[in-house]
Amino acid sequence: MPHFLIHNKNDNVGVAITDIKAGEEVEGVYLEDLSQGPKVKALNDIPLGHKIALKDIKQGEIVIKYGRPIGKATKDIKIGEHVHIHNIISNRWGKWRSQ
Amino acid sequence: MEKPVIKGYIRENGSVGVRNYVAIIPVDDLSNTAAIAVSKLIRGTVAIPHPYGRLQFGKDLDLLFHILSGTGANPNVASAIVIGIEENWANKVADKIAETGKRVEVFPIEGNGDLKVIENASRKAKEMVQEASEKQRTEVDLSSLVMSIKCGESDTTSGLASNPATGYAVDKLIDYGATVMFGETSELTGAEDIVASRISDQALRDKFMKIYSEYVNFIESQGVDLLGSQPTEGNIKGGLSTIEEKALGNIQKLGTKPITCVLDYLDPLPKGSSRLCFVNTSSAAAEAVTLFAAKGSVLHLFTTGQGNVVGHPLIPVVKISANPKTVETMNEHIDVDVSDLLQLKVSLKEAGERIFNYTIRVANGRLTAAEVLQHDEFSPIKLYISA
Repeated sequence: MPHFLIHNKNDNVGVAITDIKAGEEVEGVYLEDLSQGPKVKALNDIPLGHKIALKDIKQGEIVIKYGRPIGKATKDIKIGEHVHIHNIISNRWGKWRSQ
Repeated sequence: MEKPVIKGYIRENGSVGVRNYVAIIPVDDLSNTAAIAVSKLIRGTVAIPHPYGRLQFGKDLDLLFHILSGTGANPNVASAIVIGIEENWANKVADKIAETGKRVEVFPIEGNGDLKVIENASRKAKEMVQEASEKQRTEVDLSSLVMSIKCGESDTTSGLASNPATGYAVDKLIDYGATVMFGETSELTGAEDIVASRISDQALRDKFMKIYSEYVNFIESQGVDLLGSQPTEGNIKGGLSTIEEKALGNIQKLGTKPITCVLDYLDPLPKGSSRLCFVNTSSAAAEAVTLFAAKGSVLHLFTTGQGNVVGHPLIPVVKISANPKTVETMNEHIDVDVSDLLQLKVSLKEAGERIFNYTIRVANGRLTAAEVLQHDEFSPIKLYISA
């Protein structure tokens, strides 16, 4: 069983389908065609359902899932890092929060 | 392929129900006590208490009447009793229900008092339940099914598995002629252009974008931080970080059919021909299901990630989850487990067929978890303060 799934080949995040531990080498599968995705070393614990960075994402860069923008990075994110509300923000709502 | 059929209750106006209740409808908060008392005395009746109905005005009052009369008119209701503090508003609700041809009785409390109303309404309710008990399920085409879909306490497993599998079932149901309503206006933010692109009729697409924009403009005008509300704490716990991510997961359950009707709060569902219908709703589970049922949905498919437990007093709500933790820890609430799709142990088609087949079983009478657990949430949407 893969550790994470990737909706679209343009995505820079995957979604853990099992609890991932920091330091684990994990493998992903592309949902589009069920082909093998990238292998990544997890930098943090990533609970089931949470996102893992598949590339380095610079502060201000767009986070892509489903091949679509889901927000932008509020700080630099390294490949293998947990991606969530501590390092990304909506492009649509919450503009008034600290950026 | 053989056309699937369901066994439902054909009502006076030709619409088809999948349950057979006598509804006891309070027009206002003051009438809840009497309505609940009748439902306790008479087996087979269902009271739908709610906190509103006094000093409402304008569109907000129209919406309450729309929801109360629509709920009474729902094909899962064999007949209805309407109880109100004042006769005039009670008659308004009852007259609208009576347009369906079903039996409706009205009991005003003013000038009578609770005890007389409870006795008289209970005597009528007893007759009505006995009448309803002789209505039989008959085989009808799947095209008579009007239903609805919504997700709640979603997480990323919803967008990965339970919503796409539901989308498969929705496509198949519509192919067989069923009508499916969806809503959650604010929760389309980040995917509203995808929804709009599936509405081919220009006027309808404009109507959708107008409804969407007004809704989101109102929310944004409040100038508050929405994180924790949309996405919710549960969404965030489940890994959803932004409204866009939630919306893109949300729309996976819409399948692939064109969207052929767009309904604002007060618009009735057009009769005939299968369709995928957008309905302007809040994204709160009970409010949305309540409005869908008021527009004629007799069965609801509800996907959840972190474990929403919502039900409705009169329509079965089928819970579908792909989160293996939720399926285990909240097992009594989940009707259809598609966690094996998340783990890629089955195909999307297999998981979608599972949901389709379960929908048919529930339409034929199988009780859902929410029905057995007595999740009877009835929550009319309130648009603004009362006078």
